[in-house]
Amino acid sequence: MAQVFPYTYYSCPCVESSSTKPNAVQSAPQEAAPFLEDEEENTFDPRSPRANFSLYPIEHLLYCTDCHQIRCPRCMVEEVVCWYCPNCLFEVPSSTVRSDGNRCTRNCYNCPICTSILSISSLEKPTEGLTPNDAASDAAKAPGGPYFLSCPFCQWSSLEIGIQFEKHFNLTSQLQKIIRGDTHRLGSVTDLASPRGEEMEGEIQGRASVASVEDTAPLPIQGDTETLFTNLYNFYRAQLSELSDANPYSLSSDYSFASPSSITRLMNLYGSGGRTKKDRPKPIREAAEFSEGQKVSNPLSEKENIDRIRSVGWEGTASVEQRLQQCREDVGFVDELRPLATLLRTKKSKRCKICRQILSRPESKVSTNRYKIKLLALNNIPKITMRSLNAQPAQHPSFPMQATAPGSDEASTLKPLVPTHFLLTITNPLFDSIKVTLATPSTTPGCVKSKVTILCPQFDVGANTDVWDEALSSATDRSSKRQSQMLSAGPDGGSLTGIQAEAGKVWERGRNWTSIVVEVAPGSLPDSIGHVTLGDDAQGDGGAALDEDEDVLEIPIFVRLEYETEAGGDDGGAAHARKEDAGKEKREEAFWAVLGVGRIAG
Amino acid sequence: MSRPSAARKAPKGEYIETDSGNKVWRKANISGAPNITLGGRTVIREDVHLRGDLHRLSTTKEDGSKSSSSHSISIGRCSVVAAGCVIKPPCRVSRGVLTYYPMKIGDNVFIGPNSTIQSASISSHVHIGEHCVLQPFSMVRENVKILPHTIVPANMVIPSNSVVGGRPARIIGEVGEGWGAAGGASAAGGAGTGGESWVEGGDLRELVRSIR
Ligand SMILES: [Zn+2]
Ligand SMILES: [Zn+2]
Ligand SMILES: [Zn+2]
Ligand SMILES: [Zn+2]
Repeated sequence: MAQVFPYTYYSCPCVESSSTKPNAVQSAPQEAAPFLEDEEENTFDPRSPRANFSLYPIEHLLYCTDCHQIRCPRCMVEEVVCWYCPNCLFEVPSSTVRSDGNRCTRNCYNCPICTSILSISSLEKPTEGLTPNDAASDAAKAPGGPYFLSCPFCQWSSLEIGIQFEKHFNLTSQLQKIIRGDTHRLGSVTDLASPRGEEMEGEIQGRASVASVEDTAPLPIQGDTETLFTNLYNFYRAQLSELSDANPYSLSSDYSFASPSSITRLMNLYGSGGRTKKDRPKPIREAAEFSEGQKVSNPLSEKENIDRIRSVGWEGTASVEQRLQQCREDVGFVDELRPLATLLRTKKSKRCKICRQILSRPESKVSTNRYKIKLLALNNIPKITMRSLNAQPAQHPSFPMQATAPGSDEASTLKPLVPTHFLLTITNPLFDSIKVTLATPSTTPGCVKSKVTILCPQFDVGANTDVWDEALSSATDRSSKRQSQMLSAGPDGGSLTGIQAEAGKVWERGRNWTSIVVEVAPGSLPDSIGHVTLGDDAQGDGGAALDEDEDVLEIPIFVRLEYETEAGGDDGGAAHARKEDAGKEKREEAFWAVLGVGRIAG
Repeated sequence: MSRPSAARKAPKGEYIETDSGNKVWRKANISGAPNITLGGRTVIREDVHLRGDLHRLSTTKEDGSKSSSSHSISIGRCSVVAAGCVIKPPCRVSRGVLTYYPMKIGDNVFIGPNSTIQSASISSHVHIGEHCVLQPFSMVRENVKILPHTIVPANMVIPSNSVVGGRPARIIGEVGEGWGAAGGASAAGGAGTGGESWVEGGDLRELVRSIR
C-alpha cells in the first residue's frame, strides 16, 4: 500500500533503554546522562533499524499519567479481557479456550484457499445461501438435506474434498466425526498412503529396492496429528513423573530456580563430588515408537508425493501460506486442505510495564466498544501535523473525494534542492498552556541529505480551554498572535536563520494550537551515480541503486514541552515534578517525532 | 439554473443542501429516492449511485406480518460518500424469490471514491478507502478501517476496532485506542485553518462543513 503523506510518527522513549526494567536506585544519574547526549549529538535516526520498533502513529500510543511518559506496545503489558469469535461475535470463556484451543467451536469456518468466511448451503436447493449466523435464527425455515461449506470469494466448496454435513449446525463436531471416520473409511484426508496393512506392506516389499529402503522393516504406523500429539504428550508426562519419582528434588511442580530443590538439582548437575553419580537424574529420552508419539518419515510417501505433483501440477499444490494455516503437518496438496475454524480474537487491557498502572481497559462485553479506562497519548501530548504552505493538496490525504489517478499526487512530490515551506501545527490537548521547543538536525539522516530549518523553534501554545470561552473572546485571537510574535522574536529564534523575514515568528495561532513555518530544501537523489553505474548494473544486479523508500523525506524532530500545572492532580506525579509554589508544579516532557513529508522527485 | 429554496450555500449550484444539512451533488444518480434516508449533514458526492429502487417487495410477504416498508438505504449523520461510489442493497434468493435486503450505514462513516458497497450494515466511525468492494451481506462493525483497494468477501463480519485489507479482506491489525479521537482539536472549534479537527474514524461534522 502506498504511504499517505504527510504523516507524523512518535517515537516512544523506551527505544533508548534496551531494558525497560524499573531501576529505582540508578534512575537518577542514568536519566540525566542520555538526555544530555540526546541534545548534544544523538539525534534520532528514523532510518535506523531500531527505529522501526519505536515509531507509532499517535492514536496507537497511550500515556502513563504516573510515569509521565508515552507508552507504546513495547512498554505495555497486555492482559486478555475476553475472547470472542470475530465472525459470530460470541464470547468464548477462557476455560474453553484453554481446553479447546483458540478457535471458534460454533459454525465459523474460513476458506482453506483464500481465508474468506465460508457459507453453509443446502445441497437440496443449491441457490440458497445461508451464512452460519443466519443458520441459527432461520433454523425453522431452513431447507433440509445435506449441507456443504462454500466460499463466496473463490468458489471453493467442501464438496471438493468430499465433505458434506447432515445438519447445518454443530459443524465442528460433525467435521471432527467426518475426519475421524475418514481415517478408517477413506484414509485420513492427510494421509494418502492410507489403505495400509498387508497389501501395503506387500507393495513396500515389492518396491523396496526402488525406494531404497534400508531394510524391509514394517511400515511405521502413521496416525493423524491429534493421535500423535496425544501420544507424545502422554509420553513426556510419563517421563517427567518417572523423573520426579527417581529424584524427589527435581522437576516436580516447582520450576522456580530460586527454590531449594532446584538449587540442589543444579548443584548435583554441576557440582563436583563423588555422590553426584548416584543422584544424577536419568536423562530424558526422546520418543522411540509410535505409541510414544514418534513419527518416522516415510520414504515411500515422498515418492508418492513426487508422482502426485507430476499429475496435479503446480496448481494442485498448496502454497506455504495455506499449509501454515492448516494446523497439521503433511499437507502438501490443495485437496488435502480442510476448512479452518475461525481464530478467536481478544479484547485486551494494557498496563504500564514500569509502574503497572492500567492504561486502557475495555468493557468486557464483546458488544460494547466502551472503555472503563483509556489514557490516550492524544490527550496528553501535543499533536503535531504538517502540511505544505504553498501548494495546497487537491484533496485531503485520508479523505479523498475523487479518485486519484496514479502518480498524480503532486502535493507530496518534492522538487530536489528547491526550498519549500511547510506549516507545522502543534495542537495542545492539555488544560495548561505549554512552552514548546523544537529541534531538528540541520540535515536529515540517510543518504539523501535534505536541509531543514525550523523558522521559529520556540513558542507557546494556548491551553485547551472550553471552546465557548474562545467563542466569547474571539477578539483575543489576533492580538495574542501579535503578542506571541513579539515574544518569540527573541535571541533563540533569530540565531538559527536570518534568511526569511518570518524567522522567529509564529505563523498563526488559535485557541490551543500554534503554527510555525519549516523550510525544507530536499536533497537531490544520487541520480548521477545511478547513471554512471548503469552500465555496471546491466551486468550486475543494480547494487548502486537507492534503497527502498530512501527517497522519502522524513524529518526527525525533537519536541520539548514545559508547562505548569496544578499539583496533586494525579498522585504519582509528585516524584517527577518539582514542586513550585502554591500547588503549582512545573513539568517537562520531551520526545522525538518523525514527520513524513513526501517523496523527492528523481 | 433554478435553485430550490432549501439550498443555502451552493454558489455554482453543484449540490443541493436539504433542511437537515445533507449535501447531495446534483450529478449524483439517485434511484428510488423515497426509499432512501439521509440522517442529516451527510454528503453524497458526484457520480455516486444510490440504488434505492432495489428494495424488498412488500406484497410478497406471506407470514402475516406485512412488511410494508419499502425501505432500502439509510445513511446516518455526518457521513460522506465520495465520488463514484455505488451503494446497492444486497440481495439473495429466498424461497425462490430474489429479495433485496435493506442496508444501513451509520454516523460519521467515510466511504472513499469509487467503492462499491453491498453490505448489510456499516456501523458508525468506519473509514473505507478508495476502490473498495464490500460484497453482499458483509457487516462492518464500529471503529473499523478498511484500507484502499480492499475486497471484503460476502458475509464477512468485520469486528470492531479492526483494520482490514487485502483481496479477500483479512483482519490485519487493530485501530489504536485513540481511533477517532481528535486530541484537543475540538470539533466545534473551527477557529482557523491550523487546527484541522477531523481524523479518520472521528467526528466528521467539520469535514462536512468544509465540503463545498
Ligand atoms: Zn515504548
Ligand atoms: Zn464463530
Ligand atoms: Zn475461498
Ligand atoms: Zn507507568
